[in-house]
Amino acid sequence: MGDALIVSNVLLWIAVIALGALVLALLRQIGVLHERIGPAGALVGREGPRTGEAAPVLDVVDWNGRPLRIGAPDSDGRGTLLLFVSPTCPVCETLLPLVSSVRNAEDRRLRVWLASDGPREEHEAFVALHGLARGGYVLSTELGLAFEVARLPYAVLLDRDGVIRARGLVNSREHLESLFEAQERGVASMQEFLERDGDRRVA
Amino acid sequence: MIWEGDPAVQAMLRAAGALLFCAAAWHKLRNPRAFREALGGYRLLPASWLRPAALVLPCAELGAVLALVTPALAAAGAAAGAALLLVYAGAIGVNLARGRRSIDCGCGGPGGRRPIGPGLLWRNAGLVAALLLAAQPPSPRPWTWLDGVTLVAGVTTLALLYAAFDVLLANRARSGAARDAEILEAGWATR
Repeated sequence: MGDALIVSNVLLWIAVIALGALVLALLRQIGVLHERIGPAGALVGREGPRTGEAAPVLDVVDWNGRPLRIGAPDSDGRGTLLLFVSPTCPVCETLLPLVSSVRNAEDRRLRVWLASDGPREEHEAFVALHGLARGGYVLSTELGLAFEVARLPYAVLLDRDGVIRARGLVNSREHLESLFEAQERGVASMQEFLERDGDRRVA
Repeated sequence: MIWEGDPAVQAMLRAAGALLFCAAAWHKLRNPRAFREALGGYRLLPASWLRPAALVLPCAELGAVLALVTPALAAAGAAAGAALLLVYAGAIGVNLARGRRSIDCGCGGPGGRRPIGPGLLWRNAGLVAALLLAAQPPSPRPWTWLDGVTLVAGVTTLALLYAAFDVLLANRARSGAARDAEILEAGWATR
């Protein structure tokens, strides 16, 4: 009897460990699935000036005190990317290296402004740490209100005439790239693109 | 009255606790900058305290590990571990109450940015209960080889279950409703 209990106990432990490992493996696979089916484009809310409309024109001052006008037709014929960020937003920080690479690659076609709001001292460390002062960092509550930015990081892409070409919540490199893709394809957002595609398939 | 635990159960809980804090301290010490940033994200300590605190916490964890594996100090080590977990739970609770759900918990290990949430409070409550059991003195009973099997198999099972729960929390953070919480709702919306 005693031997039988020992054998059954050891076998049960083996089974429990195997099941534990199995549960862990399954949960990991679910994690991979979540990553695969996550949205691959910037999400656009209903709020704010819509794509295709002229952007609100605002006079603001950048980090170095230089006045600039955002939303007006551009004299150099360059578009404008506005990226709304905050020092307290960890996702925003992950986008900063991408912003500088976009700046370098698209310099002739695009101006890139990082926009935030709040008291200047809250931003000092953030700007210094990531070297944002040189590239163009704007502190303006009005700017965020004008574009009705509700969640961060939020990006708005304007063409040379100051017309909104794409906008949306950008949580990753793919989301930001989807804005450029949306502009090139002439659709307002990834959602609109998918809907159109869906209609075509139905027809 | 003090509850007397079975020596096999006590040994299993203490070894599992030591393993847990060993892994936790390892993650924190291996990437001190990430942990310091996570700690700063909690907004509980002045900035000048972050550097020492980011060193003291993993060292306290290692101290708990050493105490847990020393028979004479194991009860104190378990109590210290429980106290540490209560401090973490308090920090998470304060930030949840502040509505700052999107901050990194600092517990995700390598590359594991993870927002805080009530799930972490439940997990810590379970761990504290287990450590308080481990802090009780074991009843005198001769140790047999089968207790060795219980010890090894039990610790393995607990480690697997802990890892599974961790992945479960990560998945929940990633999926649907929680994804919104990961995006910071600071700034214009709240002002």
